[in-house]
Amino acid sequence: MKKNMLIPLFLFLVFYLLSFVINDTIRLDLIGKNQAPSLSHLFGTDWLGRDMLLRTLKGIQLSITLGIVTALLSTCLGLLLSLLATFNPLFDKLVAWLIDLFLSLPHLVTLILISFVLGGGFKGVVIGLMLTHWPAITRVLRAELLQLQTMPYVQISKQLGKGFWWRARHHFLPHLFPQLMVGFTLIFPHAILHEASITFLGFGLSAEQPAIGIILSESMQYLSSGMWWLAFFPGLTLLMMIILFQCFAKAFKHYLERDRSYGHYFNG
Amino acid sequence: MVKKFSFMLLVILIVILASCSDKPTPETNAESNEDQLTLAIGGEPDDGFDPTTGWGRYGSPLFQSTLLTQDSEMEMTYDLATDYHVSEDGLTWTLTLREDVQFSDGEPLTATDVKFTYEKAKQAQSIVDLANQERVETEGDYQVTFHLSQPQSTFVYTLQRLGIVPEHAYDENYAENPVGSGPYQLVEWRKGEQLIVEKNPHYYGNEFEFEQLTFLFAGEDQAIAAAKAGQVDVLSVPITMADQEIKGMKQISLQSVDNRGVMLPYPEPTTNEEGEQVGNDVTSDPAIRKALNYAVDREAIVDGVLNGEGTVAYSSADGLPWGNSDTTIEDADQERAEQILTDAGWQRGEDDFFEKDGQKASITLYYPSGDQMRQSLSLVFADMINQFGMEVTTEGVSWSEMEREMHANPVMMGWGSHDPIEIYSLYHSSMQGIDYYNANYYHNEQVDHYLDQAIHARTEDEAYEYWKLAQWDGETGINTLGDAPWVWLVNLNHIYYINETIEIGDQKVQPHGHGWPITDFITEWQVVE
Repeated sequence: MKKNMLIPLFLFLVFYLLSFVINDTIRLDLIGKNQAPSLSHLFGTDWLGRDMLLRTLKGIQLSITLGIVTALLSTCLGLLLSLLATFNPLFDKLVAWLIDLFLSLPHLVTLILISFVLGGGFKGVVIGLMLTHWPAITRVLRAELLQLQTMPYVQISKQLGKGFWWRARHHFLPHLFPQLMVGFTLIFPHAILHEASITFLGFGLSAEQPAIGIILSESMQYLSSGMWWLAFFPGLTLLMMIILFQCFAKAFKHYLERDRSYGHYFNG
Repeated sequence: MVKKFSFMLLVILIVILASCSDKPTPETNAESNEDQLTLAIGGEPDDGFDPTTGWGRYGSPLFQSTLLTQDSEMEMTYDLATDYHVSEDGLTWTLTLREDVQFSDGEPLTATDVKFTYEKAKQAQSIVDLANQERVETEGDYQVTFHLSQPQSTFVYTLQRLGIVPEHAYDENYAENPVGSGPYQLVEWRKGEQLIVEKNPHYYGNEFEFEQLTFLFAGEDQAIAAAKAGQVDVLSVPITMADQEIKGMKQISLQSVDNRGVMLPYPEPTTNEEGEQVGNDVTSDPAIRKALNYAVDREAIVDGVLNGEGTVAYSSADGLPWGNSDTTIEDADQERAEQILTDAGWQRGEDDFFEKDGQKASITLYYPSGDQMRQSLSLVFADMINQFGMEVTTEGVSWSEMEREMHANPVMMGWGSHDPIEIYSLYHSSMQGIDYYNANYYHNEQVDHYLDQAIHARTEDEAYEYWKLAQWDGETGINTLGDAPWVWLVNLNHIYYINETIEIGDQKVQPHGHGWPITDFITEWQVVE
């Protein structure tokens, strides 16, 4: 079980950290432009002679950073809203209504709308992704909390005069932690793919940033002249990264959800 | 898990195989119908086909005809007019019209239509600038006199570009239902899709070959695909796609003044009346502007970015009769650039970038993010200058954002017109901050003086002299030897694929705008076997 979890995570981190080694500016080389993949340029070069491998790694770095930030923010937002829902029945109704509202709208459309209104760029994309990815996790957390509320030990705490935030910190949070982790790992790949797609559509990051979405939309213009490697490898790399993380997330979920009550039998 | 991966592999394999397969070869080419042409040259006019609001300023107005026109050598010739005469003081222009001209609806074209057109265009206050035109008078049916408030040598270019509209058929829907005396008349315009035109039966000019033209307004990829399937006779492609082989079509690459360059803010930082930032600490130093001009390797940009489909540019009017050939410099000379900077007191700092009094030679170059050519040029320019020793960061922004930045930061711009008034617009101090003209707030008294004289010159030759003097008079001027407010980089060639059986003859040096200008001599196109 542990192996299933750690190998993808390790590979994922290696890719991510590798991209930090690369210098910020990728050299232009007009003589060596439009080269198909070869040993010296594994992913080929683009129309200005930039090495596509380096550009892809840079793009992956940006995507992952963005994914982590937005997944974290969405999870926090989800937690906050679900706690708010337990506070008082009126808030609960409000949160439930908000969840329904956001789930009923197509994801990408809402995302484009929010990002466009905020003027695009890193900020626009992050806020857009944050505001569109919270409902699923909030719903899970809310259900979990509703159940927790009725638990005898929570009720006893309440009768003993412990305040809401005390209960939240000592009873709810420890219980919700696995859910939060799983929610985070599940939102993360989702956010990255959505970032790439709205950037590709031109509503996301600006053309300056070395994002995968930018690389893909730029290379569209060159596909018809046969330069398939411009889109193929960056796309494939993004896919591989997502799959790696997904594997990790699945294994991690299994690990957290294992039945702890028998744990001491195995551990002796 | 294993199942998932094997599925993935399958998908990858399919993609690889698909990309290996050969492109389908088109069976046939050329139209079955010999006297019809299909053109995919892009550039659907958003505002329709009304010359008084700007239609036809590049290429031919197609539906209308102009008083004068230009031949492929850019010499002035007659079209609707048979004769023109300018008074001694340059204020009165008298033109005699042909008497056999009819609009496509059969009505005759007379001096009142000319008067109507010019007054309408002045009223519209659009891109056609007629502010200097005081009044228009007609004398009889076939003589028209323009009274100008000041002598204006460039008025002759307005006469060459403004198509005449019929007074009797002009209403608010004219732009969509143009009636004119040009070689073709409109059959159908489906916005966003296609424009179909057919021969005007009343056309007064020489017989010409093609009965019907269809203009397709498709995206680049679609247009190329249609051409490969043999459905298009004339196709315009961007330089980045110029390396294709299309069966049954030949490639022609037309030289142009469709230039690209970096506009450098000229004054010291300040604000203008609207409170916008104007000027730049670094580029206000003439040494920086000159050094940029010398350090950049234009030849390498033409080869590298344009694949050789272009020419190096040293001014905004290279190769035009009013261009000054003294503007040429020996570029890619980093030693000389370094010398210029050292003489002006710039020193290399620790990071190898130049500094002066604590000011680092660092600029941000803005470009419109949707334009891949300008993006490539900007990135390459930045790379070259970074290597030389000035820090250039590039930033792709929207046009509206660029309008905010362009007074205070270098921007990648493009111009290129068949009317020398462009030089006036770009460099005269009275044009500072008007639209995109003179957005870098260039100002030089002597240049202003020459430009005024050029505008008010009485003859074309005299005007040419002053246009050239404004660029470089031996001591000062607009060009690189003088104030160097721009780093002109390249002129883009315009690339077309044309059906092998069609001969389009000689073309002018092409202006800004890739597409419509090729229709300029469409009445002289021929089918050859």
